[in-house]
Amino acid sequence: MIQTIAFYLFATLVIASGALTVFARNPVHSVLWLILAFFNAAGLMILLGAEFIAMLLIIVYVGAVAVLFLFVVMMLDVDFAELRAGFVRYLPLGALLAIVLAVEIVFAIGAWSAGAINMGARIAPVASDVSNTQAIGQLLYTRYIFLFEAAGIILLVAMVGAIVLTHRKRGGVKPQDIGHQVRRRPEDATRLTRPESGQGVEL
Amino acid sequence: MTDLSQYLPILIFLGIAVGLSALFVFLPMGVSRLTGTHNPDAAKLSEYECGFPAFEDSRSQFDVRFYLVAILFIIFDLEAAFLFPWAVSLQDIGWAGWTTMMVFLAELALGLVYAWKKGALDWE
Amino acid sequence: MIGLTHYLVVGAILFVLGVLGIFINRKNVIIILMAIELILLSVNINLVAFSAYLGDLVGQVFSMFVLTVAAGEAAIGLAILVIYFRGRGTIAVDDVNRMKG
Repeated sequence: MIQTIAFYLFATLVIASGALTVFARNPVHSVLWLILAFFNAAGLMILLGAEFIAMLLIIVYVGAVAVLFLFVVMMLDVDFAELRAGFVRYLPLGALLAIVLAVEIVFAIGAWSAGAINMGARIAPVASDVSNTQAIGQLLYTRYIFLFEAAGIILLVAMVGAIVLTHRKRGGVKPQDIGHQVRRRPEDATRLTRPESGQGVEL
Repeated sequence: MTDLSQYLPILIFLGIAVGLSALFVFLPMGVSRLTGTHNPDAAKLSEYECGFPAFEDSRSQFDVRFYLVAILFIIFDLEAAFLFPWAVSLQDIGWAGWTTMMVFLAELALGLVYAWKKGALDWE
Repeated sequence: MIGLTHYLVVGAILFVLGVLGIFINRKNVIIILMAIELILLSVNINLVAFSAYLGDLVGQVFSMFVLTVAAGEAAIGLAILVIYFRGRGTIAVDDVNRMKG
């Protein structure tokens, strides 16, 4: 009973906040609605028993990706009202495409529940005696080793790409070189002299 | 399916938190609307005494360097996320699983070295 | 009890919303990227729902990979957006035709 109520609560909220993400006037509000959508999707995942994915959604999506979006929205000084100019013009085409897509998906779900598609054998049956996180670990680091390494490569490429694209040396700054400071000996900087009277010191 | 009843306290906590925060936001608004007279005009809504009109939009621009830090955070956040299932299942996955994670960490350490050498970590 | 179809319907609605968002916010790349995140979220909901109801854990593992790719895509997409804005002073998609021959 509680599960049913929770499902309808989370499902309604995730759809409503998804819609508001798309339709909000202010991009900052869009990002905040996106964060709400992720939270509610995490609730749905918990209802499905996928606890680790739910936590991952909150940690990665809300904690990192949404914050990145927020940074970019704040960083770019853009006139967002001007960018919404085509909103009404594209609405009919977009709505038409969305309806077509929705009908196709309904047909697909109908075909699936009518039993037209046979599901293959289960590759990894859910074990009942271990926790969700542990079961994922047992599968991910044995059967899907190469996919996991490919995910690592993707992360590496994303990191290198982002640095190449956005990092640039800025001129006119004097960064502190700690190694250089520590290497500097007194002999490099000071000189003992004993000038004769009447003669100056050669600098 | 996992036992969902252990999440019941969290759900109750969530409900109470949402209810209380909604109360704190909307109750003062409702009470002031019901009890006080509400007829604003331009002079009443303007800033007075210590306040002054806003000079510019409240959305001030950020520096691009924050963005680079945020990207590095995403990458290492995901790395940490992949470490959790590895850590709890280390008993079962054996040396192969251990080696996999070490290769993965080496890949990301390579990225970290690159970022360091390029000076992406320097704040200046 | 909630059936699998309920989750699939939620995923389908989110997916359609994401596609709709791409079409009606054609000028604003930031919203387009957020719509793509919504689409990937709906894919994740589908994967996890099937994984739970078929009793097969592979769906959740693939959902982790989808998450990884989504994070990388957001990072690179926004990096491209930032340098594009640096060069042009706008993020309108309509202006991305300088390389047209």
